[in-house]
Amino acid sequence: MERKNAYVCRCEEVTQEEIIAAIRAGDTTLDAVKRRTRAGMGFCQGRTCRRLVAQLISAYSDVPFDTALEGSVRMPVGPLSLGLIADTAGGTEE
Amino acid sequence: MKTYDVIVVGAGPAGLGAAIESGKAGASVLLADENDQPGGQLFKQIHKFFGSHDHYAGTRGFQIGQQLLEEAARAHVEIRLSTRVWGIFEDGTVSACTEDESFRCRGTWLILATGATENSLVFPGNTLPGVITAGAAQTMVNLRHVRPGSRAVVVGSGNVGLIVSYQLLQAGMDVAAILEAAPQVTGYAVHAGKVRRAGVPVLCSHTVLEARGERELEEVVVAQVDGQFRLIPGTEEVIQADTLCISVGLTPRWELAALCGCKMDFCGPLGGRLPLHSETLETTCPHVLVAGDLSGIEEASTALDEGRLAGVHAAAALGLLSTAESAEREREIQSRIAALRQGAFGRKRQTSKEQIWSRYHQHQGGGL
Amino acid sequence: MRRITQHPILDIPERGRLTFFYNGQPMEAREGDTIAAALTDQGIRVFRETHKRHEPRGLFCAVGQCTDCIMVVNGRPNVRACVTRVEAGMRVETQRGLGENADENI
Repeated sequence: MERKNAYVCRCEEVTQEEIIAAIRAGDTTLDAVKRRTRAGMGFCQGRTCRRLVAQLISAYSDVPFDTALEGSVRMPVGPLSLGLIADTAGGTEE
Repeated sequence: MKTYDVIVVGAGPAGLGAAIESGKAGASVLLADENDQPGGQLFKQIHKFFGSHDHYAGTRGFQIGQQLLEEAARAHVEIRLSTRVWGIFEDGTVSACTEDESFRCRGTWLILATGATENSLVFPGNTLPGVITAGAAQTMVNLRHVRPGSRAVVVGSGNVGLIVSYQLLQAGMDVAAILEAAPQVTGYAVHAGKVRRAGVPVLCSHTVLEARGERELEEVVVAQVDGQFRLIPGTEEVIQADTLCISVGLTPRWELAALCGCKMDFCGPLGGRLPLHSETLETTCPHVLVAGDLSGIEEASTALDEGRLAGVHAAAALGLLSTAESAEREREIQSRIAALRQGAFGRKRQTSKEQIWSRYHQHQGGGL
Repeated sequence: MRRITQHPILDIPERGRLTFFYNGQPMEAREGDTIAAALTDQGIRVFRETHKRHEPRGLFCAVGQCTDCIMVVNGRPNVRACVTRVEAGMRVETQRGLGENADENI
């Protein structure tokens, strides 16, 4: 049976090899890896892969795991439709 | 914009505890949760809880959940379900939305009880349908009453892995094996004993190498590892299974806390990155408290009492409890939490918590 | 059929039946089922095909966090099958990629 890919970011289909290549190319923060590979840019916003990417950063660079975990958080938190956010920005209040 | 004395995010045991205590003291409380049912993961816990009478020992998780919902109703807590809090702004405004509407509200106190996310693992085939988290397997059998497959391999022998394995058996599934990379079982002996007596092999110093199948999981390749978790060549073995449950720990869901501007910290034994906090669950943000798995991965009973403590803290700060009343209530809850942090496993969590508290006080410039 | 009807701890009440449409074919579910539960009961575990590599995906976290189980529901893409309750007459379809098979108007 054909060997399947080992995925780190399930949403954006980013494999372990792709993440390691990015780290070797000098991306040692979550944001840098994200910019190069799209890991963490998917629907779940990196909730599932953030820890895995940080583990790989710490394994393949001299950045420790806790430092590697530090990444920026932006609103909205969670998968949302942009229409709803526009609504709130417009001020649907109660 | 509607305003509340307390807004609690997350209606698991911690959030319910917080909402109940502040509500009971007379605070107006909004409890928001993104799920369409309250209780967090309590309603899929069908095993009996440990501890003393004060910790609902001998009561099953879903029964505790039911009692908490009744308590919350008596405390006039407004529960909004299918409601996701997606943003928090500097002035205390909270943005939330449901499937088809969004709204803003403001709380004098904000209690974050956002819980945790299950950790994942990377191996070839890890996205094949049939490869799921242990929590997913538990949700399917205990809440949805549908078996995710017929024969499972479970990765991880912590309490979640052991308990879920047993619950898969109760649901009528086979459990081919539990894999543990460490040389010994990492969960409680009592849970390990139960699955072993039921005939499930617990393979220590074993890991999953690969998940195989055309369009769905058909078999799992496992192998032995040495003391440094390095693969021992030639030990590969194929296990027929249509379900692979990953149970390799939990990570606090800290996004909203970070968004608030809470100073973050790191503590491996408590699950990794988490908001710095005090004994009474204060964060470095004024008027923002945290509780439950967000403030460090522990157990449901601890989460519930941490939530209660945060609720009492908020109620006292709002002037709804006298100093004497809140001190009495805090003492009572803290003694229960202390009891839960005893024993070999509990002490480790206690020590980790003490480090967090101490760093919190250092950060705030006080010292303990 | 993977539905649990007897359990040593849980009381499993009989629930009403309803019919929804899976890729155009009528399929039976129970009231209160999530889409994922109804499909799993029928032995269906592939819920979508990915955008880049067209690989099968299904349930993973079952609590609405990972978004791996998204399907096209009533013509709308990216609906999480694990937390969305099935309704009578609902049209549930395997999601292709980003939802190329969703209704254009949505």
